[in-house]
Amino acid sequence: MRKIFRIYKPFTHAGILLAAQYRVNFIFFLLGDILMCFINYFLWRAVFNSGGAQTFMGFSEADMVSYIFISFLTSTLAYSDGSYAVGEEIRDGSVVMRMIKPIRFDLAFLFQELGERVISIAIVFLPLVAGVEVFRFFATGAVQFNIVRFLLYLLSLILAYLINFYINVCYGYSAFVLKNLWGSNLLKNIIIGFLAGSTIPLAFMPPVLSEILRILPFASLTYTPVMIYIGKYDLVQILISFGLQIVWLAFFIFLQQVIWNACVKRLSAQGG
Amino acid sequence: MKIFKKLHRVFKLHRIFIKQDLKRLMEYKIDFATGAVGMLLAQGVNIVFLSIIFSQIPALDGWKYEEILFIYGFALLPKAIDHLFTDNLWAIAYFIIRKGDFDKYLTRPVSTLFAVTVEKFQVDAFGELFVGLLLFGISIPHISLNINPLNIFLFIIAMIFATLIYTGIKLITASIAFWIKRSGSITYMFYMVNEFSKYPTTIYNRVVGAIVTYIIPFAFTAFFPASYFIAGGNPWYNIGGTVVAGTVLMAVGILVWNKGVSAYESAGS
Repeated sequence: MRKIFRIYKPFTHAGILLAAQYRVNFIFFLLGDILMCFINYFLWRAVFNSGGAQTFMGFSEADMVSYIFISFLTSTLAYSDGSYAVGEEIRDGSVVMRMIKPIRFDLAFLFQELGERVISIAIVFLPLVAGVEVFRFFATGAVQFNIVRFLLYLLSLILAYLINFYINVCYGYSAFVLKNLWGSNLLKNIIIGFLAGSTIPLAFMPPVLSEILRILPFASLTYTPVMIYIGKYDLVQILISFGLQIVWLAFFIFLQQVIWNACVKRLSAQGG
Repeated sequence: MKIFKKLHRVFKLHRIFIKQDLKRLMEYKIDFATGAVGMLLAQGVNIVFLSIIFSQIPALDGWKYEEILFIYGFALLPKAIDHLFTDNLWAIAYFIIRKGDFDKYLTRPVSTLFAVTVEKFQVDAFGELFVGLLLFGISIPHISLNINPLNIFLFIIAMIFATLIYTGIKLITASIAFWIKRSGSITYMFYMVNEFSKYPTTIYNRVVGAIVTYIIPFAFTAFFPASYFIAGGNPWYNIGGTVVAGTVLMAVGILVWNKGVSAYESAGS
């Protein structure tokens, strides 16, 4: 394990430098994205004002607001650019430069992306969590922050990121076949965002559909960590969802290896 | 007569470029399909979201489901038209200036702005256009619209100037790249404000409402004109506001663009 860290540390370092270079851009993009949270916030406030009921399908207003912002935080932090980066390298043939080195393709990407994440964590984490907690305090009149639940959330978030990373790497390998990824990447992000519950809590879907979506790997990306954070899951549900996350992570690591081995055989680097 | 000749030339060039772009698309058929389907799904997801909300409440801030769908559809049309014709401005903001590729537009015998926008015909926009028209089709039979020649005329006017609001905001923010080389993230931030236009401005608080009405006036691309057609109201404010906002933003946009072009310094190799 220590050896792995020693070998791949330079990639993390490069990632940090890369992200630091673009931090101003990152903040503008973030401000643009966070507008969506505020639209949803106002929309839900209007819903609760119009409905007259205290809860909407089991969610109180404070729950809903927390859901909006924490799911934004979760999907921002668990975001992975892997498919695009991998796809680009395959497309322009520079993947060859990685293949001749004695390093693992997936780990090099993973450690670089972790470095890039450091900056975004530093920028978004504290303000969003603090904002949500202050809101919950005023909405419910009591401190809702629970350190155990928060730590469980962090653990779930890390698993979510790793799953997302490997899903994206698997997907990026499709560039070995497709060569042109931009359009399908957009489509994939929308579909996954929907299935992961980042637009609509899965609990609002029809019961059968909601059960199926919860078992699929996508719920592990956003829905599971968020539900843990806002305290909608009891201990049994938390244990089950951790189990699911670990199973899916193992599955995608394995899948990634299988696809890589199969693809390397038919690699035709363009102009390489 | 001179202006007609000029317009004729513009349309001719547009046709040639669109034809060229469609040929390129035929090469990447799957990319076209996925792009348009992606845009379509992105809106579809929001519609599902709205229908879930309305399964629990009868009206949102006094607006019923079909009225909200009409406003939403109204918001998509100018967005789609702008997307279709001026998508290349994003490329200006992101990389054309930074890489020094802007040089080539300076050599063309047409205005730089026209040369840039005509270069790309963004068919992804058909996804949004389709959803917008679909929402009109679903919602219009259920709401009482006052359809008469004057309102049809006002509708067309509103669409044109609402599109100019989009184009103007993109133009102003993309032009910043002439000075700072890369302004994509700024364009993105301002452009995202358009999402506020999909819902009645009355659901926002006063500060946010004032921002989307007077500062980044996306409320005039959808809610104000659409609510005039649904609920009546003062056309001088609801439609006139769109005309004023569109004209002002576009004029400022062209001004900033021209200043930017003269400040442009190519990239050293």
